[in-house]
Amino acid sequence: MDNIKILGIETSCDETAASIVQDGKEILANIINSQIPIHQQFGGVVPEVASRKHIESIAFVVAEAFKEANLEYADIDAVAVTNRPGLIGALLVGLSFAKAFAYALDKPLIAVNHLYGHIYANFLEYEDIKFPAVCLVVSGGHTSLLLMEDATSYEVIGATLDDAAGEAFDKVARFMGLGYPGGPLVQKAAETGQAGLVTLPRVYLDRDDFNFSFSGLKTATMNLWKKLERQGSQNVNDMAAEFQTALVEVLVAKTIKAANKYQVDNILLAGGVAANSKLRDLMAEEARANKLKLYYPSLKLCTDNAAMIAGVAYHDFVNGRFAPLNLNAYPSQMSLLKRPVDIVDNSVDK
Amino acid sequence: MLELIADTASSMHNLGKKLASLLKARDVLYLDGDLGVGKTTLVQGIAQGLNYEGLVTSPTFTIMNIYPTNPEIYHYDFYRLEIEDLDDLGLTDYVEQDGITIIEWPKLDSDLLPEDALIVTISLLDDDYDRARKVVFTAVGERYQPLLEELKD
Repeated sequence: MDNIKILGIETSCDETAASIVQDGKEILANIINSQIPIHQQFGGVVPEVASRKHIESIAFVVAEAFKEANLEYADIDAVAVTNRPGLIGALLVGLSFAKAFAYALDKPLIAVNHLYGHIYANFLEYEDIKFPAVCLVVSGGHTSLLLMEDATSYEVIGATLDDAAGEAFDKVARFMGLGYPGGPLVQKAAETGQAGLVTLPRVYLDRDDFNFSFSGLKTATMNLWKKLERQGSQNVNDMAAEFQTALVEVLVAKTIKAANKYQVDNILLAGGVAANSKLRDLMAEEARANKLKLYYPSLKLCTDNAAMIAGVAYHDFVNGRFAPLNLNAYPSQMSLLKRPVDIVDNSVDK
Repeated sequence: MLELIADTASSMHNLGKKLASLLKARDVLYLDGDLGVGKTTLVQGIAQGLNYEGLVTSPTFTIMNIYPTNPEIYHYDFYRLEIEDLDDLGLTDYVEQDGITIIEWPKLDSDLLPEDALIVTISLLDDDYDRARKVVFTAVGERYQPLLEELKD
């Protein structure tokens, strides 16, 4: 099917975002109303603020997307919306808006899992991705390794057993007084610090599996930070560098190992932590050494956006996977472990 | 009040399993304590004690995880929330259902949360993460005092 234009709406966490994507690859508009400055006052994402800001922003952001794409409302073919996982109050703002919009325009509604959107960000930018591939999804709420047979079917081969990588970044950053959001601030501090001057553990768990644990690294970091404080020898930059290196080395080692075990030639990165330059650089280095091809989205598409939602929805559109107007939102990440294959599982309120 | 020592992560996990055998539908647990003291580890033990085989991860970003145990576990984390946010989240919808509610980083001053609960406060010994954890159980309400007695045995 050609010239299919889908409006994507994403409100699962910090960002109110709307995008219009044609045929699952051509971004006609991509609007993100970042709420980061508001959250910085609180040292974290504040869902109450998030919900209210989503409500204030959503209509404006959607209108802006149509303006940028130079389209009328009736020009789109479907409305796609993130309905899981995320903060329930935040998800419901996007979901309610999408339902009303789809109903008013008499266009089909498509439910999208936020995680699949992140993975799909790669497909918006590269057309030559070959399968099978291994994808590392790393964000504030998720750390998973997936074996992909094609653009929309995955098997989870590993996941964090406790904290997600992005969560560890945020908590360690707050503990060391760096602020929020933790990822970029730790990366910035690490640039002027040196890894290896202090030593943190690399938690590989069982070396034969693909699961992660970052809670132990978080605790070790805080423990060492307190000890250094007592000795009067804290250096936040060196600590940030060592923490980031310890975390990234494990992500890279497990991803490369998975690629070798499953004999794939392609590696994908996805999620907000895929914006981390240390992760990109080290993964690129190891991919080269192992003759693997590495893909990662541009910075703008790593973090939450709606283009990835509208993109992934194209495949649902061509396969007729539409959602009813009683579609619900689900906060839990339990649903992430398998991609729902049919509409009943994907969208009906159970 | 009951004070226990968990020497290792594994003993924290076992404490969770023991606690699980005493919990009933509609019970409410508040888990208080600093970053990295073992709150999620205790919840992992509770879920395993109720025969859950899936992953129990930190709900810091998701705010809430649900585990399909019998009874269900509603696992919350209010780390990123302010007290005034609770009103907006619809959390009380779940607290009134027939599951076990476990809240990390509870906002104990909030009047939206049930007062009757088992409060579990976990702390470091001598401010050192390498050492054991002190786990203090405080029963609020009639339901939880007998639970403490059973936990002692």
